[in-house]
Amino acid sequence: MTEHVESLFSHPLLPLANADDAELTCATAFPRIAAADGRASVVHVIEKAGGAPDKAGVEQREEVADELFDIARRAANDAGIELKTDLRFATDVGDAILEAAREADATAIVFTPRGGRSWWDLFSGAVREELIRHSDRPVVVLPADGADEDGET
Amino acid sequence: MTDEELAKDLGPLAALTIGIGTMIGAGIFVLPGAAVQQAGPLAAAAFVLGGVIALLTAMSASELGTAMPKSGGAYYYINHALGPLFGSVAGWGNWMGLAFASAFYMTGFGQYVVTFLPIPSLVLGGITVSAVKLVALAGGLLFVFINYVGAKETGKLQNAIVLILLAILAVFTVFGLLNADLAKLRPFVPPDKGVSPLLPVTGLIFVSYLGFVQITSVAEEIKDPGKNLPRAVLGSVVIVTLVYALVLLTVLAAVDNSLVAGNETAVVDVARLLIGPVGAGAMLFGGLLATASSANASILASSRINFAMGRDRIVSSELNEIHPRFGTPYRSIAITGGFILLFILLADVNTLANAGSVLHLIIYGLLNVSLIVMRVSDPEDYQPDYRVPLYPLVPILGAITSFALIAFFADTIVLLAAGFVVFAMLWYAAYARTKATKQGILGKYLLQQSEQLPDAAVSAATSVQPDGGYRVMVPLSNPESERDLISLAGAVTKANDGTLVGVHIVKVPDQTALESAREEYDFAEADRLLEQARVDADELGVDMETHTVLSHRSFEEVFDAAETYNADLVVMGWGPDSHGSPGRAESAYEEITHALPYDVLVLKDRGFDPSHVLVPTAGGPDSDLSASIASVLREFCDAEIELLHVADDRDAGERFLREWADERGLGDATLTVETGDVERAIESHATDASLLVVGATERGLLSRLVSGTVVMDVVDDVECSVLLAERSRSRSIRERLFG
Repeated sequence: MTEHVESLFSHPLLPLANADDAELTCATAFPRIAAADGRASVVHVIEKAGGAPDKAGVEQREEVADELFDIARRAANDAGIELKTDLRFATDVGDAILEAAREADATAIVFTPRGGRSWWDLFSGAVREELIRHSDRPVVVLPADGADEDGET
Repeated sequence: MTDEELAKDLGPLAALTIGIGTMIGAGIFVLPGAAVQQAGPLAAAAFVLGGVIALLTAMSASELGTAMPKSGGAYYYINHALGPLFGSVAGWGNWMGLAFASAFYMTGFGQYVVTFLPIPSLVLGGITVSAVKLVALAGGLLFVFINYVGAKETGKLQNAIVLILLAILAVFTVFGLLNADLAKLRPFVPPDKGVSPLLPVTGLIFVSYLGFVQITSVAEEIKDPGKNLPRAVLGSVVIVTLVYALVLLTVLAAVDNSLVAGNETAVVDVARLLIGPVGAGAMLFGGLLATASSANASILASSRINFAMGRDRIVSSELNEIHPRFGTPYRSIAITGGFILLFILLADVNTLANAGSVLHLIIYGLLNVSLIVMRVSDPEDYQPDYRVPLYPLVPILGAITSFALIAFFADTIVLLAAGFVVFAMLWYAAYARTKATKQGILGKYLLQQSEQLPDAAVSAATSVQPDGGYRVMVPLSNPESERDLISLAGAVTKANDGTLVGVHIVKVPDQTALESAREEYDFAEADRLLEQARVDADELGVDMETHTVLSHRSFEEVFDAAETYNADLVVMGWGPDSHGSPGRAESAYEEITHALPYDVLVLKDRGFDPSHVLVPTAGGPDSDLSASIASVLREFCDAEIELLHVADDRDAGERFLREWADERGLGDATLTVETGDVERAIESHATDASLLVVGATERGLLSRLVSGTVVMDVVDDVECSVLLAERSRSRSIRERLFG
């Protein structure tokens, strides 16, 4: 063994989509990261229309970002791990997450499934697909303990 | 690209097409029939007049927009300049105005659809819903749905739609010009009515000029707003005015007036006559596109206004929750959608147009007034890139024409507008005043000038200021003193039935940008401290909100934060490392203390124990604050109160103290009168006390903190905790004015 292999959880990147997702993802992932003596990065991407009015204002979604970063910070605090937050603006959410993972040199991208019906993906964009298909690093999908099957909260 | 470039991704064309796309739908596809019926060819002049009025306001909107490129546009500027009373009028007006306008666009959409789809009307429980309204309802539902799920493709279609529309109208105009006969434009003014229909028709078609202000509602997303925002706002008004006037003139010159007058889809029939079925088809398609894009853009804009209103607590911020899956402000969109459907059902197309127009005219008038207020008060951070030419003529004319046009609407519409303004003001008084957190520039300006202005103006300004309830701010920095400060501040909050505002100020080194600090700073400690504060506040049964503030300064930031969070009282700890080391900017405190707009309590904490509270008094406003703090401590912390007065003559001193205590409801406190040296008396009585409450007297308490004067010696010499109290200065001005 000459090559040093890092644990998946030594420095993972966690994409957070909304407050519920942040709550759930952090609660499931942070204890594992703490167990691996790791640190975490979380990223939230504000989706831009790229030259057309957005579906919600930027200031409005920056408030959402503040809120879910707060959730993550509190959770990291409880778990006793170091946390970095990363706010991005992009037209393609999946791409932006992959880029954030590259820049942070993350050991893995970790998320909890948000469930939902595939029909809605027409509108909300299949970020999960993008992550699984195009990631150049491990993607870990954590089971969402106690999440309702439907994912509609 | 930087984050800011990515966040601001609306280029000049996209911004322009938001304006044109919102406006062009109504004017030319829906209204010519009604306008020509009332005014003949003079209707074209009404469109030009409407355009001129819009342009005056567009200049003001541009200047305000470049100075404050914020979400919410017109509402934001008016709220910022004139305060939340007018903010409430503007916010509700803009919101409902857009809902009326959307209902109008959708009804126009229905008129277009029924020309080619045979749709029966519906009879429900004796009420007939016409085919047009059925389609309007379906269309309304569709566009609300599209915005609800946030299909991002629709946004990009806007550019294409606008270009297609302009192309269709250009071809149409060319055909019209080829067939034009100027004789048909005569008589230009209807011989039976003269010019009297001009202003009422201008009012009717004014709904065609609402779009430019929607550009300002997405101002925060516009690239280089200093340049692109005025171009888009002014450009869209000029282009749309020219298109309206040209198209209408060529139509009326090419065909008989009678074909247009009263015809709901006049341009389609004109195109059929001039170009043939292809022309009619193209105009029909154009009508559908135009009304649809207008409604879509309006629904989108209204959610931005809701957000800005929610941020200022004019409406509940619950309204602005973002959908977890779609990322859209779904509640706001759903409620706006409900209003649109309701308005479609209740009103006919002209009423909808009039209601949309009149509410926007109120906003336009207020926008111009706001501009004047900003220019006159000239706050430091008001730095517009674009400035209105011919100030103050343009905004004055803009305000007068906007308000004056309201008078030419039908009585019922004027009544509706008046009722609406009253509703919005009552809304502010009954709901928002206790919650709204933002004070307008106008109010601040009037209060600042209070010594020069007549009492009535100041009194009016004071009585409409948002009070946001009684707000007690506690800057927290040291975990050891946190609990003591919260207990003290919590008791005062509870006594006033107010809100506790915990603020943690994080000092960021000068070389680190605040933005990057926000991302990189470790907030664990701050969160822990604020979390603990929340737990303690909860135990006391007090509402608490908490904020983390990043600043390059620390001690000075307390005063900025107190302004930001609208504190009525600031309770702060004081010790060697409570808030960084003050002392570098003494003159700044002097300045602050001269215009202190809130009460301040400073706790020199040696363990907060209110069991035996000593209050030395010599009368004066600051000892009033000491007295009220003492009664709060007695009521909520079971404190024993001892009042101390040092006088030259013991009898006179006793009389004074007895009277003073009775007046302040402290008659049952222990009264002690001493003669001799004030400091020595205080020190000797403080040995038995657990807390000494000292009112600041002449000079600012905060500058005493820094410079170390008489009071400081007492603070250092006694062994118990000391609470220094200083009353707000602005309140004493008010008291001076109004007794």
